[in-house]
Amino acid sequence: MGVSALPFPSDAWTQAFADAVNASEDYRRYGKPWTFGAVAMVIEKDASLGFDPEPGMILDVHEGVCRGARHVHGLEAVEGTPFVIVAPYAMWKEVIEGERDPIKAMMEGKLKMTTGHLPTMLRFVQSSRALVVSATRVPTEFPH
Amino acid sequence: MEPCIVLAPGAAEQPMAGMLAQLIRANLDERPAKKATLARMRGRVALVFEDLGQAVTLRFERGRVTVDAGIVGIPDVTLRAESELVLALSRMELEPRSGLPDPRGEVTRQVLDATREGSREVHGLLPSLPLVARLTRLLSVTA
Repeated sequence: MGVSALPFPSDAWTQAFADAVNASEDYRRYGKPWTFGAVAMVIEKDASLGFDPEPGMILDVHEGVCRGARHVHGLEAVEGTPFVIVAPYAMWKEVIEGERDPIKAMMEGKLKMTTGHLPTMLRFVQSSRALVVSATRVPTEFPH
Repeated sequence: MEPCIVLAPGAAEQPMAGMLAQLIRANLDERPAKKATLARMRGRVALVFEDLGQAVTLRFERGRVTVDAGIVGIPDVTLRAESELVLALSRMELEPRSGLPDPRGEVTRQVLDATREGSREVHGLLPSLPLVARLTRLLSVTA
């Protein structure tokens, strides 16, 4: 029996994402030295898609493990998160579908790190990629 | 003299220019030894990010760095590669005493292999070796 797709973004999708991160050997390896706090991924506000306020996910990642994940709403919900990545829905969709490399998208300015320490992010390029690429393994149902 | 990092007019629209300026600022704030490295840098370095279709010129002059979008003037050194390989400069392992890239390091080996294979090209390296060595130290997030 196939695994049913989970709506993105949602609580269920966020939990499945956390499970996918924990199942990633690459993330376990490259993320092992990461002790710099949680990472939030936020979808830009888009009322036409029902994304108002901004939906997001906060992943509590530490030493190669995702210790917890929360689906949140609004930029105030991610305040205080050490690393925050923001992008329009269409960009996240391309990343989740594996059509766009997340690191290259950051360099192109299509995924924007609005909060965070750039030298640390650059030190952990492989870990960051492994984290985001884990999302490609979540069976996903997109709104459009 | 305190270092000064300036984005030239129009450079802010190019993500890599902003990212490099932010990286240099953060490194200088957190690792004051890099200020002495910057003070000794003179010349222009062009970084061409082939996969992004972007280029950035870094102009070094007496502790001041100006970051331009595109290639501005005649660079002393031009580094041409895919964006991730260019930014790997910041992750190259450096020998603690000399501050030069350590060929035993994983990232340094990847960068050297890419240069040998031609997927990373450096023009003007030999005459500007000290400038390139200092740039590597300035951008390094590991040392």
